Amino acid sequence: MTVTLQAGSGPQPEQAAADLRDCGPQGCDLDWLSSARIETEVDDVAAFSQFALEQGWGDGMPLIPPTEARVRDFLGNGNRYADELICTLPPQGGECTVEKIAINAVMAGARAESLPLIIAALEAMAHPDFELFGQNTTTAPVYPVTIVNGPIRDRLDIPYGHGCLGGAATQAAAIGRAIRLIMRNIAGQVPGITSQTTFGSPGRVAGVVFGEWEERSPWAPFAERRGVKGDAVSVYGTMGTMNVLDTVSQKGHEFVEMIGKSLAYPGANGLTPCMPFAEILLAINPVWAQIIHRDIPALEDVQQMLWERTAMDAGHLTARHREQLESLGRVSNGKVYVVTEPRDVMIVCCGGGGGLHATGFHSFGSSLTQTVAIKSGPDNKQEKT
Amino acid sequence: MAIGQILNPSAAMAADIAGPGPDAGVLDGKVVGIRVDEIWRCWDQITELWANEFRAAGATVRFWRCSQGRTGAEGERIAASLEEFLQGIDIALVGLANCGSCTGWTVRDAISAAHKGLPTTAVCTENFVELSQALSRRGGRSGLRLHILPYPLNECDQEQVEAVAREHLPGILQTMGAQASAVLEQAV
Repeated sequence: MTVTLQAGSGPQPEQAAADLRDCGPQGCDLDWLSSARIETEVDDVAAFSQFALEQGWGDGMPLIPPTEARVRDFLGNGNRYADELICTLPPQGGECTVEKIAINAVMAGARAESLPLIIAALEAMAHPDFELFGQNTTTAPVYPVTIVNGPIRDRLDIPYGHGCLGGAATQAAAIGRAIRLIMRNIAGQVPGITSQTTFGSPGRVAGVVFGEWEERSPWAPFAERRGVKGDAVSVYGTMGTMNVLDTVSQKGHEFVEMIGKSLAYPGANGLTPCMPFAEILLAINPVWAQIIHRDIPALEDVQQMLWERTAMDAGHLTARHREQLESLGRVSNGKVYVVTEPRDVMIVCCGGGGGLHATGFHSFGSSLTQTVAIKSGPDNKQEKT
Repeated sequence: MAIGQILNPSAAMAADIAGPGPDAGVLDGKVVGIRVDEIWRCWDQITELWANEFRAAGATVRFWRCSQGRTGAEGERIAASLEEFLQGIDIALVGLANCGSCTGWTVRDAISAAHKGLPTTAVCTENFVELSQALSRRGGRSGLRLHILPYPLNECDQEQVEAVAREHLPGILQTMGAQASAVLEQAV
């Protein structure tokens, strides 16, 4: 459909307004896309990917050329204006408009239906308390994981069962990659220039986007516990995944003890003096979650028990580390904790039915998890916690 | 092969101030504010030595210590504390940019000082020069004064670090645009 926009046409009914945003492959008489046009190869993915690498836009994997037609098609399916400013992203302070998001999402191979989720995730990451500036410049390998709650998990095929943190063949990888390309092209996170990451991380290529298995979780959905019901994303800055295997435990408190103790190691950001506080995220498989809930019904009690078991004897640390932690008031009764309060132990339920494993995500430190509702259009006020 | 048009996926940088801002000038009678952190022992040792030299030149020195916990309630407290600190000084010396995220905070705090019109110098180690420059540019102050210390530094013992501090005294004064002949004569 090609639409000619006319000035002074007045308010439109909601559906008509949405239609007007779809100017189709031929475009509108009034051009809504403001990005510079660049001539290059548009049919050959390999040639375009090489060109994109040379321009500094690529991540080393094949990219779909973001032609006007593809970007217009992508935007045409959503109820958003191309010039709507969603946020600015550090360290570059780049203006992240819907148009720029769409261009990068097209390159990553994300579907148009994922736009509201990507927008919500970026809004969450742009919150000052998420400390994206630090995450994008640090020597650490930190990257944001995106946890999805609500019915949108199934509409977008976001995995929450087997292989949900990576490996499941779903749209999540393309969505995560779109967000990573936005970090590169709009936030300006470039290794060796703005990012000093010593090693980087596999999670910096296509992110980690996964859902919570709400239907098998004994607890309320993660986002709901944080004040947002229904479709929502939560973003959390993690140093990576660490596996916890337990083939022995049978009772809830045994699993909790094994998980908690496994999380305590001296080099975790939360246990180092460079970070005064931190959070920690745990993905617990549905089998263990049910057992833990059966034996320890209140989630707050589970958090308290996990927190207590993350304690490390301060004497286990080197004298220099211990002294610096003491000066920060982080040593209590000879113990140091990964996080300062039990409520900062955050739990989600996901993973395959085979059980046997939990995943710990140590945090960057001062980045605070953000949860944002996923909305279809710009008119609804976003909810944040 | 078909040539066509694609849309640029990148965003433009913010407007830039390319100048370094005012010189520190004569130190006598001024308040030099030194921003330190809770990570780098070597920066404490260097600034302690420099502070003594600034005092010898007639300046008053105020230290402001901050952590990396710049979010949530703690972040609000630190932001208010920084604002108060900047209100009470004439010259800002900000460091230490010696890791990725602490370079980020060093540059951001230095830019906050520079935006207030204070003569401002950020201090980084050699390994973090490019990042400091890149972040200064992206923060809209590509001309931010930057003094460079050797790297690695925090891994050195106190004697070595203090030798670096003495060696870099003329350099830091020059970068600050400070006139402190008394300091230099004493140092020599």
